[in-house]
Amino acid sequence: MISTDPWVWISAFLTICSFSLLYGDNPLFRIAEYTFTSTVVANSVVTSIPTLRDRFMPLFNGTKPWFIIPLALGIMSLFVVWRKYAWVASFPYALFLGVNTGISMRGAVGTTIIGNIRAVMQEGAAILIGSPTDQLGYVVRIVFTVSGMIYLFFTLFLKGSLAKPMGYVRTFGKYAWLVFMAIMIGNGVQQYSGLATSAMNRLIRTWLGF
Amino acid sequence: MAKIPELKSQYIWLVVLLVYISTGAFTLNAPFQMSQATVDAYNYVESLKPGSICVLGGGNVFAFDLESSAGQIAAIKQIARKGLRLVEFPTGVEGIMFHRYCIDAARVDEKYGGPWKYGRDYVLLPYVPGGTIAVVAFLTDVHALISTDLFGTPIKQVPLMNEMHSYKDIALWFMPHWAAETYSPYIIGERGVPLLFFAQASNYVTAAVYMNIYPDKMWVTNGFLGGAQYEKLVGSPGLGQSAVDGYTILSGAFLGFVLLGNMTLLSDVRRKEKVEVKQ
Repeated sequence: MISTDPWVWISAFLTICSFSLLYGDNPLFRIAEYTFTSTVVANSVVTSIPTLRDRFMPLFNGTKPWFIIPLALGIMSLFVVWRKYAWVASFPYALFLGVNTGISMRGAVGTTIIGNIRAVMQEGAAILIGSPTDQLGYVVRIVFTVSGMIYLFFTLFLKGSLAKPMGYVRTFGKYAWLVFMAIMIGNGVQQYSGLATSAMNRLIRTWLGF
Repeated sequence: MAKIPELKSQYIWLVVLLVYISTGAFTLNAPFQMSQATVDAYNYVESLKPGSICVLGGGNVFAFDLESSAGQIAAIKQIARKGLRLVEFPTGVEGIMFHRYCIDAARVDEKYGGPWKYGRDYVLLPYVPGGTIAVVAFLTDVHALISTDLFGTPIKQVPLMNEMHSYKDIALWFMPHWAAETYSPYIIGERGVPLLFFAQASNYVTAAVYMNIYPDKMWVTNGFLGGAQYEKLVGSPGLGQSAVDGYTILSGAFLGFVLLGNMTLLSDVRRKEKVEVKQ
């Protein structure tokens, strides 16, 4: 049964307007695009209200008076829109970036560097274990990792007796990167195709009631 | 020889549109391969004790992230059926809409006849800005970070939140969309909380590596396909299955387009050659 909910009708109308871009740019698509953009901005503002209430309730009911510090820092960050006093905003932004960078560096060292190296070494040790399919998978992963790293590390032309064999490895590493990018693009295409399917799914099932 | 019709882009879009409409209207149950990571994730959730607390959050999600929601909705159905509980912790502005949408779509609340009651079995927390800082603070001390739930009720008055203080109380962390690479070092690496990531397909390639870094602690599903896999395990086909149906038909259609395009090109070249010979 067709939906009687006006919100579902508005949603369906905007979905069809969005899809109309497939035929070419047109005013209906523009209506959908601007509605979406303005709604996102408006939602961000509205969402911040319960967030502010949650953040500063302990300050206003007196349980955590030191919350005056983050409140002051938040107000200071608003000065960024006032050119003459924009420097005031650099204090909270510097604090935020400093804490964030410190935490991120800790995570990056633990996971991205040490964790990845450990994972590759463990896989190297597992090449001779398990089913032939698993073994092949580990071999591919290690060969691709090593050749990909060599491609990035040795971007300058090498001279001497090692130049030629290293050139082959670098070329292979380049192809390893291309395979990685192709998989990423393939997955990206899959993502957008799936999103279109699900938008149509919502239209047909929620709006038309199939 | 009959002329092969020109392959205009509008024709392609029309076929694509018809495929989308048909897969939206009818579930074809197209077959797909099951991923071991998805099965392992499902089995891990099944192994959790009733009453365990899961957290959904951290992903830089947008309002109706349909791709991640395919698996997430199925997972919510599973944890509600298992008697687990859920704390929803949005760290993206639109996360609030996404989290509410997932709960509504899973039909687990008692207002839909489901087993869950708000406050007792699941809680919606307000949006918390700060990204990594917010996630680390949440894992360290939930009550120091958050004072009220989404509706303004002090969290001390919410029964579930009285049992939720830090990472020690979390049995599993669900993360939709992307950003698992950013948050996994703090959630899994530093605190050992297992993480199930319903990744977007475009993020899957980079996130899947982390399953090797955290074996048996992190599982990543691949977009709608991963969602369809999880839906199948839970026994509730939905968005994921529809998308996989679309992929299956479109793969055949695109192959047809490639063949038709090449045939058109070759016949044009041949016709031009004939014209040149005559001249």
